[in-house]
Amino acid sequence: MSATATIRASAPAPAPGPAPGSPAGLNRRAVVVCLLLAVVTVVLGVVTITAGELGIALGDLPAVLAGNGTRAQEWVLLSNRLPRLLVAVGAGAAFAVSGSIFQSVTRNPLGSPDVIGLGAGAAAGAAAATLVAPDVVPVPIGALIGGLAAAAAVLLGAGRGFRAPYRMVVVGIAVGAMALAFVQLVLARTTQQEALQLAAWLNGSLQSRQWSDVATVAVSLLVLLPAALALTRRLQILEMGDDAATGLGVAPSLTRNLAIVVGVALTAAAVTVSGPIAFVALTGPQIARRLTGSSGPGMVAAACTGATVLVAADLLAQHGWWGTQYPVGVLTAGLGGIYLAFLLVHETRRGTA
Amino acid sequence: MLAAGLSVAVGSKTVPLGEVWSAWLHPDDSYASAVVASRLARTQLGLLAGAALAVAGAVIQGLTRNPLGDPGILGVNAGASASVVLVTAGLGATAGRSVWAAIPGALVAAAVVYLIGSGGPRGRATPVRLVLAGAAISAVLAALVQAVALAQPDVFNSYRFWVVGSLAGRPEGTVGRVLPFVAVGLVFALLLPRSLNALALGDESATALGLRTGRTRALGAASATLLAASAVAAVGPVGFVGLAVPHVVRSFAGSDHRWLLPYCALLGPVLLLGSDVLGRVVARPGEIMVGVVTAFVGAPFLIAAVRQGRAGL
Repeated sequence: MSATATIRASAPAPAPGPAPGSPAGLNRRAVVVCLLLAVVTVVLGVVTITAGELGIALGDLPAVLAGNGTRAQEWVLLSNRLPRLLVAVGAGAAFAVSGSIFQSVTRNPLGSPDVIGLGAGAAAGAAAATLVAPDVVPVPIGALIGGLAAAAAVLLGAGRGFRAPYRMVVVGIAVGAMALAFVQLVLARTTQQEALQLAAWLNGSLQSRQWSDVATVAVSLLVLLPAALALTRRLQILEMGDDAATGLGVAPSLTRNLAIVVGVALTAAAVTVSGPIAFVALTGPQIARRLTGSSGPGMVAAACTGATVLVAADLLAQHGWWGTQYPVGVLTAGLGGIYLAFLLVHETRRGTA
Repeated sequence: MLAAGLSVAVGSKTVPLGEVWSAWLHPDDSYASAVVASRLARTQLGLLAGAALAVAGAVIQGLTRNPLGDPGILGVNAGASASVVLVTAGLGATAGRSVWAAIPGALVAAAVVYLIGSGGPRGRATPVRLVLAGAAISAVLAALVQAVALAQPDVFNSYRFWVVGSLAGRPEGTVGRVLPFVAVGLVFALLLPRSLNALALGDESATALGLRTGRTRALGAASATLLAASAVAAVGPVGFVGLAVPHVVRSFAGSDHRWLLPYCALLGPVLLLGSDVLGRVVARPGEIMVGVVTAFVGAPFLIAAVRQGRAGL
């Protein structure tokens, strides 16, 4: 099972598909970065499993994984720590790839799904599916509908589509505020018990995840990651401008629409299992670009970075020095907000904003 | 007046209008009387906070020549909330209820957002950059509030509802505590209209007209901060009132600040109380916190402002 954990943890690793950023298909630096990130993720994962009062000592881990641990140990690992860890890996990857798609489509690092209100939209959809019409619509579908509705609202609201990314961002903030208000409204309408659960989820939390959550995010990634990879080259060409892309045989609006659908679906999948965790979609692709030194929408690198970021954040949220367990979304919102501020100042200095 | 009347008469508990009237005139121990008393209290709060938020928004929009100005969007409310929660966690609930607890956070947040929005001390703050900086700072501060609140369950409990923004369940005497601050803020704001009109022509023209721009900005910032901080201390971080009301007022009163500011002071309470009544009626027998309703009512104004190109995008 140790091997399983390793493979799972590095699932979005670079082996399949050409690495973006180089026409030859293989960018050595990107591959190295992804491998390193995978290793870091595995190490962080092992720390996550072994840390804390109930943690399983490193020496015991192989035995527990082989099925020879005590019942308590097996419960901790299989029902508690492992699903949580795997959801963190999957959701982190999904958020970051979605962010990479949106940043590429809008040609702007601020165009990420959490800034333009898609995460909040997906959360509203999931909340509606959970509480307003339970058993009618499955939660992931509800999240998807909510995310798509928010995307449509942002596009229509901005009026000029993606030609004015900054307009889109401001409209996105408004749409996000409305979506969150809707979630609050749903919260106010439900029983206290349901409301408490939803409130915890609303921050973006990985507490008490189950294998069903792992399955949800794993299946989504299996379907959507290849789709994202297939779009990578076209998006990269699109970044050169619509005219250039048309000249090279890439249909701009079709590519954009496909990419948005894939991006929204990824956000919805991640939000379904982890709640709207803030700023992983914003930071993941940016860190990936800096690490790999590439300028294109490197999906694989983004996926690896997102997974590492979220696993690290969750580890910190669980076992930081503050003594309480925070929902991981609180942590990413704090750190991500600071990063967004840095990005604003930085972009302004460069005169691109 | 009408909104205030509605706010007293209509609520999530159905009480016949006649009973409301008699309970208002002759308070007794009846159920209706208790309901009306609580509605009166929240109506007064709504009047104060609505006027404060709307005028703060108008002043910010005038000062920064930024149609997207709103104490909620620009992070001032978040700053005030964070400092209220920190003071409560550190010094107890009594200290946390004072407006003084909200002011430092509001000031610091406003300054930081302005600095980030202008890309450092020498840059120029465009409307959109300010909004983004506000979003970033709000996210950081919201996380801080959550972190403090989650670590201290009692703080969490008392601030769970406050943080959404609600006129209900405020401790007694809130109106009295907040009133002086709002009054001072409003007086400051009413000194400003001519200067804001001049400032609207641009800094150079304003200086040429003999305006001391530095003094105007300082006074305006003090006024907006006082107003926003007292509103937040009273009813929690309610967004979009400061954004929407000035836009509505401009559509019928023009952009002369001598008319704009007083109309905002009148119309702000209308929006806030109207939203509050709406929240009570829609969700019977429960109610929706007013902060949620104003987001629904106000966010479209943000979109409209962007679409009309007034943000300079």
